[in-house]
Amino acid sequence: MPDLPSQAELATELEQQRRTISELQTPVIQVWEGVLALPIVGSLDTERTQETTEALLQKIVDTGSEIVLLDITGVPVVDTAVASHLLEMVSAARLLGCEVLIVGLSARIAITLVHLGLDLSGVVTRTTLAKGLELAFARLGLAVVRRGEPPEPRPVAGAGAP
Amino acid sequence: MARVPILRQGDVLIASVLEELRDSDALALQQQLGARLEQRATRGVLLDVSVVETVDSFLGRLLNEIALSARLLGAATVVVGIRPAVAITLVELGLELRGVHTALTMEKGMALLRRLLDEGARRGPYAGG
Amino acid sequence: MGPTPAAEERLPIAGETDIIAARQRARELAQQLGFGLVDQSRIATAVSELARNVVRYATGGRGEAALRALAASPRGIGIEIVVRDEGPGIADVAQAMREGFSSGTGLGMGLPGTRRLMDELQIDSAPGRGTTVTIRKWRR
Repeated sequence: MPDLPSQAELATELEQQRRTISELQTPVIQVWEGVLALPIVGSLDTERTQETTEALLQKIVDTGSEIVLLDITGVPVVDTAVASHLLEMVSAARLLGCEVLIVGLSARIAITLVHLGLDLSGVVTRTTLAKGLELAFARLGLAVVRRGEPPEPRPVAGAGAP
Repeated sequence: MARVPILRQGDVLIASVLEELRDSDALALQQQLGARLEQRATRGVLLDVSVVETVDSFLGRLLNEIALSARLLGAATVVVGIRPAVAITLVELGLELRGVHTALTMEKGMALLRRLLDEGARRGPYAGG
Repeated sequence: MGPTPAAEERLPIAGETDIIAARQRARELAQQLGFGLVDQSRIATAVSELARNVVRYATGGRGEAALRALAASPRGIGIEIVVRDEGPGIADVAQAMREGFSSGTGLGMGLPGTRRLMDELQIDSAPGRGTTVTIRKWRR
């Protein structure tokens, strides 16, 4: 009769699988020098928020990034709990000198957030990752230009929000 | 006795925490910074806490107070070197340190101070972003 | 393999230097028990909060922190810190546990924050009886 895996072995394997899923679900990607992107797919509970925040902060330290594009397109429900978790991530990244732009908001989520009465002052948002990237470039004083055309003259390089 | 040396570099004060701060050391730092800000025109304060392993509610609030009173005295404060573990812990404690600007390294901190002071100069008489 | 169970380590709390000593010892024990960096920070900060309460509000600013590794438990490996003092005690424990850093005299301040950082927090306190706060955290 073949040996069945012990309880301890199963527990370890389960833990490993859980970690793998966690890593797959929240990859932190460097999209440009100084700019990270973090797409969140699925729901955000306390444990996942903690793991994601740790991974994000470590990446910020490793890359010296100053902007993070937090993409919530794949987050199905944004209630008080999820919103608090997102704001915690923003606050933690901020303490490392990194600005977090939340992108991927739908009108429905925007209305929900306002309705929940959360303090969103100081949180910059955009509807798409592309728009967030555009803002990130502006903050860094960069512009994307079609070849053969000179860039548009800008009034002040890297002028950000007031 | 733990001390925090405060150096001046032009119109910026640089304070580097060298070891874990006792409460009295932290309060002394607050006083000394206040005194130095009064003495000479200072537009920026750079506070390096990269050595600090534990920032609890007392120190967290004190950093915020230092930044807010520096602003009243016309200076912007940038706290540099908050560790990831410290940042996460502060947020879980409910301390966001909204009054404080932050940066990862001294170099970035200086660059941020320069940007804040330039913007302040452009906008009008009130410095300290 | 694992930590040898439960010798209790007692540290006196009599002044502000002891706040640092207690939290650093707690951090070391947490590291030995295999807690990650962030959890070490949470534990050290929690101990710092409790030790400071003793120094600030206990009679004579005196108390004690007892550190213990928890190993023989269904929850696995954990750390326990018990902070005791003979101070005036907390009149309304429920109130002290409610959110609000800026509330009242400051006695018991930092308790909601400490609760958030740890997995378990128990308070045994009453006016005239001193205060005993027990905190525990388990390795994931």
